[in-house]
Amino acid sequence: MTRSIIKIINQDHKVAKLTAIAIALSLIEFFLPSPIPGVKPGIANIIILFTMIKFDFVTAVWVSIIRVFIVSIIVGTFLGPTFFLSLVGSVFSLLFLFIFKGINGKYFSVISLSVIAAFAHIIGQLLIVRFWIIPHDGIFYLLPIFMISALFFGLVNGIITRSLLNLNINK
Amino acid sequence: MKKILQFINKIQIGDLFTIIIFITLTAYLSSKLWNFPQGEYLKINMGKQEVGSFNLNQNITKIIEGPIGKTEIIINSGKVRISKSPCTKKYCIHQGWINQLNQSIVCIPNQIYISIFGNQTDYDSLNY
Repeated sequence: MTRSIIKIINQDHKVAKLTAIAIALSLIEFFLPSPIPGVKPGIANIIILFTMIKFDFVTAVWVSIIRVFIVSIIVGTFLGPTFFLSLVGSVFSLLFLFIFKGINGKYFSVISLSVIAAFAHIIGQLLIVRFWIIPHDGIFYLLPIFMISALFFGLVNGIITRSLLNLNINK
Repeated sequence: MKKILQFINKIQIGDLFTIIIFITLTAYLSSKLWNFPQGEYLKINMGKQEVGSFNLNQNITKIIEGPIGKTEIIINSGKVRISKSPCTKKYCIHQGWINQLNQSIVCIPNQIYISIFGNQTDYDSLNY
């Protein structure tokens, strides 16, 4: 029997820890009832944003994508439409975060990033719904509801992330 | 309360800017997407022939004789509904009032079809 040649480095432990927290938050969110179908707070994004600011963008990508896969396997939607919605939403969020991560600094804080990521998430999801799941323009009538919720939850998540970052956790 | 005030003081200019931009975007798209035009007149069809078109801004009750009985249609200043129908499921009655452009009420058993038209043109969601 040959020994595994993959060396586990510190980075892997970091990703694993952060992903575990993100998965736990996602699962809590999954079991919470939502007043409007399809509207979720997206509290796992707190961890993604925290990772991106505290560590680097690549770690955030790892945490985000692994979270999507593991959560879908746990709740049983793996490779279903819900899984692809989740994946595309995350990819769009990460894309926009990558474009806008430079603005975090003197004038802009993580709150702006959170709102931008929330909007990117619904844009990605609506695009895939429009072109694949429900190919009809009627779904755009739902856009205002999603935008209002994205604005609200983006702000709340951003505020939580900022207070988390201000705590100066060094682990 | 004190904490909230402290928090508001700590908000950076850029964040305020982002929030205002997104609120404007949301408001603009909401008004654009949820702007349903009102109709001006309605057409009633029974089977293949047209019974007639009526102005929406009046208060009249129409009784139309279909294959299985009489359907009562009420037009009440800008909106229209079916109030009595001989059909069994009464989907047409449960649909209630309609008042927007291109909305329609259909009663399949009695072959009644009511649809609202206007001078503005909107896209027809029944066509692909």
